[in-house]
Amino acid sequence: MNTLNVHLFDLTTLLFGTASVNYVAYLYGKRETLARIGTWICLAAAVVSTVALGVRWAESYQMGIGRIPVTNLYESLVFFAWSVNLFYLLVEWKYKNRTFGAFVIPIAFATMLFALTSESGIHPLVPALQSYWLHAHVITCFVGYAAFTVSAGVAVMYLMKAKREEAKVTGGIVGLFPVSKVLDDLVYRSIIWGFPFLTAGIITGAAWANYAWGTYWSWDPKETWSLIVWLVYAAFLHARITRGWHGRRAAILSIAGFAATIFCYLGVNLILSGLHSYGS
Amino acid sequence: METASEVRTDRVPASATIDRKQTKPVATRIWNFLISIKLAIWMIILLAVTSILGTVIQQNQPPEKYRQVYEDWAYNLMNRINLFDMYHSWWFLLLLCLFTLNLTCCTIDRLPRVIRTVRKPRLTIDAAMEKTLSLTERWKHKGDIPQWAETYRSALSGSFAAPKVTEADGSVHLYAEKGVYSRFGAYATHAGIVIVFIGAIIGNVFGFKSYVNIPEGKEASHLDARGGKEHIDLPFSVRNNKFWVETYPNGQPKEYSSDLSVIENGREVLRKTIEVNDPLVYKGIWFYQSSYGQAGPPIVQVSVKKASGEDAGILSLAPNKKREIPGYGTVSAVNFEPNFQGFGPALQVIVEKPNKVPQQFWLLQRFPDSDRQRGDAFTLGFLNIKENFYTGLQVAKDPGVNVVWLGCLLLTAGMMISFFVSHRRIWIRLSPGPHGKVEVTAAGSANRNRPVFEKIFFAILAKIRKDPSKTNKENPA
Ligand code: HEM
Repeated sequence: MNTLNVHLFDLTTLLFGTASVNYVAYLYGKRETLARIGTWICLAAAVVSTVALGVRWAESYQMGIGRIPVTNLYESLVFFAWSVNLFYLLVEWKYKNRTFGAFVIPIAFATMLFALTSESGIHPLVPALQSYWLHAHVITCFVGYAAFTVSAGVAVMYLMKAKREEAKVTGGIVGLFPVSKVLDDLVYRSIIWGFPFLTAGIITGAAWANYAWGTYWSWDPKETWSLIVWLVYAAFLHARITRGWHGRRAAILSIAGFAATIFCYLGVNLILSGLHSYGS
Repeated sequence: METASEVRTDRVPASATIDRKQTKPVATRIWNFLISIKLAIWMIILLAVTSILGTVIQQNQPPEKYRQVYEDWAYNLMNRINLFDMYHSWWFLLLLCLFTLNLTCCTIDRLPRVIRTVRKPRLTIDAAMEKTLSLTERWKHKGDIPQWAETYRSALSGSFAAPKVTEADGSVHLYAEKGVYSRFGAYATHAGIVIVFIGAIIGNVFGFKSYVNIPEGKEASHLDARGGKEHIDLPFSVRNNKFWVETYPNGQPKEYSSDLSVIENGREVLRKTIEVNDPLVYKGIWFYQSSYGQAGPPIVQVSVKKASGEDAGILSLAPNKKREIPGYGTVSAVNFEPNFQGFGPALQVIVEKPNKVPQQFWLLQRFPDSDRQRGDAFTLGFLNIKENFYTGLQVAKDPGVNVVWLGCLLLTAGMMISFFVSHRRIWIRLSPGPHGKVEVTAAGSANRNRPVFEKIFFAILAKIRKDPSKTNKENPA
């Protein structure tokens, strides 16, 4: 019964895969057309996955358990890929440069592949999850995660570019990248978008917990890891205020922050135990 | 990347501390340590790293559980340093205190200076300062200074912000700024963090967390102990009128609900049906639906009729307890099935009559006359079963929680201001130049997003220079 949305998500996976190939081929083949096609495919993926989310939402209502489609591992993965794609398209449009695609869209693709391996059924929500805070909480967190993903992808580009610039080598795939100063700035800019969203995500989570069981903070592993991620990016921001922490070290901190983000998002559920274990 | 003003504010404390160093070296060194951002970065990283420990080692488990996992020596060591409840350990609290101290000292050190620069902005620029500002532009005009000053003043007002005009050494200076509150964003964020801590402390000192189980139809005002405090007596009581569970079509629980009344001085003052995620609040005390269970055996009602069809009453049966039907025997309920072989709810009963073999059979709720087939002197019918639930309520009082939300609001707002509002400043100096000309110098600075400001700066200059050139022609000096 609920297969239409899954088919659409499968199609989204295919689109992300194709777009990734296009973006990477663009770096090697240096043909702008390839990247332009990549952009169109990403736009198509944005449309298809948005429709898929809507269909899934509608299907849950048909099943009599109407709920927002962001409540189990499968749904959160596709929603993550959805957010990353949109945030990426925004950056591409703003910076008029398509080289970022090769470093960001494969992450969306990998996320969708991972989603393929998880159970895709629509299940009713346990009473604890039935709250409007859930919407605010999940959406803010995921916008934050998406921003951090873009930041880390660009940080990798920065490291590649800076190395070549130091060696005064031009050309190569790095030749198409924006200059390292722009990349450095974008690493930072993505984070200052992600940070307030993560903050809002943590706060709405706390508000929800307070409304559901009267404790806004209980140091469960998921909460604690979201705090750790928050602290890593706070360290990043302060490191930038004191001179000498631009460029390489900032890029590395951004990548570390992304690693912490992924652990917070997936590692905690798959490795540690606690309240937020999806589905259980 | 830093603007001139940032560079300047960073330099001031250095010189200020040199003065102090000559008098009180040790105190000064401690102070410099406490106000440094380096310490802040290390504190933040240290908090992050230590926090990981508590997510890897399960917290607040019973000792036996740890002993299964860890060797004796490891258990003793970890227990000694409170690793099993690390977020409340003295060393973690110490870290938080040091973090707060760092934040406070840093604020004490910097905020007054920020306030000063905001309240007494630099209204004039000189050659030295011009060099530190990357955005500068110079041009010359015919005409006299006051007239040009007036033209630029109104042009700046129109396209940027109303400037302050000062005269010094024969030059006229215009200074206009926008988004000055961006300077306070970081401080609002930091204050927000401290306020959250304060709220948490208030909650810990003046609040409590507890729970209570109330059977249906009963009321309670006495709460069970949890964490430290012995027990709590409420100034009112809560009655559980009814508890029920709703399920999805597949049988999974959909909602737990309790119909609660607050009773004060013998009067019902409030009534509300609570659910998970929808608590009841009375006098700052919150009641959350958190669990439920069986408060006692269910009660079964069975109708008794004579063979003639005449009613002989209704029996209430507790499980496995015999009840006597005068002139007949005893009956006891031994088993209940919500759906017996597809026929719906059914009750298994045993009828014992003196000197007879006990009879055991099922009564179907949907078929009240099915017992007639036994052809006995009395027939029994299964009327209903009433399960006896208690509702499990989490009870919390946290007078600090609104302080926490206030802090959260402040820290988020401060962050947005700090990230997205830029303090933009434009100076224009008009000085007498050679051959009776007016020398104009314009400079600009922004503490955020400088590429964007650069565009705006030159656009504004183009605009204000265009307007005057017109007036210049109409008005030959
Ligand atoms: C995890 C806790 C913290 C958070 C979330 C936080 C947040 C922020 C934010 C958002 C900014 C603005 C950054 C920017 O303009 O790019 C900032 C600036 C700053 N923070 Fe923090 N902060 C934290 C802890 C600290 C601590 C402990 C100190 C202690 C020294 C500190 C010192 C500063 C300073 C000096 C600035 C620059 C202020 C200015 O622009 O004048 N921060 N902080």
